[in-house]
Amino acid sequence: MANEGAIIAEGLVKIYNGKVTAVDGVSFSVRPGEIFGFLGPNGAGKTTTVSMLSAGLRPTKGRAVIDGLAVDVDPEAVKRRIGIIFQESTADGDLTGRENLEIAAGAFGLSRAEGRKRANELMDEMHLTEAADRYSKTYSGGMRRRLELAVGLVHHPRILFLDEPTLGLDPQGRAGFWQYVQQLRKDSGMTVFVTTHYLDEADTMCDRIAIIDHGKIVAEGTPNALKDRLGGDVVTIRTGPTASDLSEMLRPLSGVSAVQRLEVDGDPAYRVKVTNGETFVPQAVEKLYSAGAPVTGVTVKRPSLDEVFLEFTGREYREEEGPTATDRAVMMQRVRGAMGGRR
Amino acid sequence: MLRELGALTRREFIKIVRNPQAIFTSLFLPLVYLLLFGNGFNLNIASYAPPGTPPSVIEALTLAFFRGAPNYYSYFSAGMVGFVAVTSTLFIGANVIFDKLFGIFKRVRGTPAPSAAVFGARLIAGAFQPIVLAFFVLGLALLFGHLPPLNGLHITQSIGVVGAFEILLAIVLVSLMFATAFLTIGILLEVPQIYFAVVNLINLPVLLTSDALYPWGSMPPWLQTASQYNPVSLCVNVLRENFFGASYYPYGPGVYLLGLLAWTGVLVAIAIVLVRRALRPVE
Repeated sequence: MANEGAIIAEGLVKIYNGKVTAVDGVSFSVRPGEIFGFLGPNGAGKTTTVSMLSAGLRPTKGRAVIDGLAVDVDPEAVKRRIGIIFQESTADGDLTGRENLEIAAGAFGLSRAEGRKRANELMDEMHLTEAADRYSKTYSGGMRRRLELAVGLVHHPRILFLDEPTLGLDPQGRAGFWQYVQQLRKDSGMTVFVTTHYLDEADTMCDRIAIIDHGKIVAEGTPNALKDRLGGDVVTIRTGPTASDLSEMLRPLSGVSAVQRLEVDGDPAYRVKVTNGETFVPQAVEKLYSAGAPVTGVTVKRPSLDEVFLEFTGREYREEEGPTATDRAVMMQRVRGAMGGRR
Repeated sequence: MLRELGALTRREFIKIVRNPQAIFTSLFLPLVYLLLFGNGFNLNIASYAPPGTPPSVIEALTLAFFRGAPNYYSYFSAGMVGFVAVTSTLFIGANVIFDKLFGIFKRVRGTPAPSAAVFGARLIAGAFQPIVLAFFVLGLALLFGHLPPLNGLHITQSIGVVGAFEILLAIVLVSLMFATAFLTIGILLEVPQIYFAVVNLINLPVLLTSDALYPWGSMPPWLQTASQYNPVSLCVNVLRENFFGASYYPYGPGVYLLGLLAWTGVLVAIAIVLVRRALRPVE
């Protein structure tokens, strides 16, 4: 493991109550100034890993080093060097945006004057100046996330942890949020560790990604390198209900490197990795028709992170995508509303 | 540490000021007790005495029954200070639980602010309320004494500097003690329903084994004995001795203050251990 990593995880294991293994031997290293994406379905161990890296959770085994500091040895020093944007909103709705920032600054040991100055700077950077003296409970979802980001940056952290930062935001809000993060990295060289459900975000925003599934890292690399490992196009062929497995029929066709049988909306489907999808489709359709297997749909995809996810976990990413986390965000908003907007 | 404590305490006081409903209800409860319970429950020994009982006998009985207070209302007014110390600190822990549910506590725990600052900020704000309420109660009770036909607090002793200090210290200690207890419970628990069940288990026995509201003379001996060790009684005794004299008390205010100090010290020590453990990175 390289010692110069801004974030180093060495064999992190988290077992809850001696029974449930949430993280199972996770190791990786994030370089300084890198945007590192941590992908995985709900319950894969993303948030648990973030909690162990940010001194919120003690690992059952393994070691985390942040900016050269062992998390278990000096958690307070680690907390001073990192900023965290949690999955859920943590801004205090009864406080104004400015007060949220000033109090967070104080909690990080900044003086009142420093906190006030920093709050003004961040409000300006996040385009929240006009709303600075409004209660944060009146903010839109995008404004709230920007406030969360500002709170996470109030003490000039060297490393930023973003746990599902754009969950529940509309596309415009997501784009805006990422624009700030990219700018931050450009301006300050900050290291960013981000967990996300949105594979397109990870694809375009992250320098490198790791995919975690069932507590283990199943793939790691740059988005392009991971996609290249799929080796060409991915063709998905849906057929009508049929008793036999048609995989063996597809495998000998030219350019095929792998065939995987799936089920899409209750019908059989075949995910075929081929060097050239456009030339493969006609011969595949002809072969299947001649065998009496009705083809009901064909899609050809250039490799995406969805395909990468499927390749390494054996499951469609969208099947795992987050009703739990999203529902929780919606529920929290409803609870807030039911309480008359308090907190 | 002080900056962290200052910032987090500021947050707590902003929350108090921004919640006028809570301020109103916290003032309303003692007002109702002083106005209705105190007047409605006002025991007049003279009305139970047989005709022809000498006034001196009635006075002696009254003083014995109410431990030197000239009437029940005066006796009860001092008791109300202990009563509000318990009732106004009940919800402090619930606020922590709600802050946990809404993620606000998680944010604080993500900062390097020491657990002493996290706890201390809430303790300062939590103890502040019963201290203010105590003086509100005493002020209102004194005012009622000048508004016939209402009953009110009649202080029969002159209170010197030492006495005033003893009263202030007793109020501060009892407020800190109960704020510490309920805050610790809130930090340890995660579910509001369980919190309220637990505080109800504590709240009623503590109040009902004290002599805050019961006339001393009507309490059975076993309850009188039990109440001697009750922190609410210890606070109230300091006030009553200073208001009405020490003749009916086995010990001086200093002893009761020491008892209260011991209670507060023990609870703070327990809180330090439990809160530090609770605020460590989760196992």
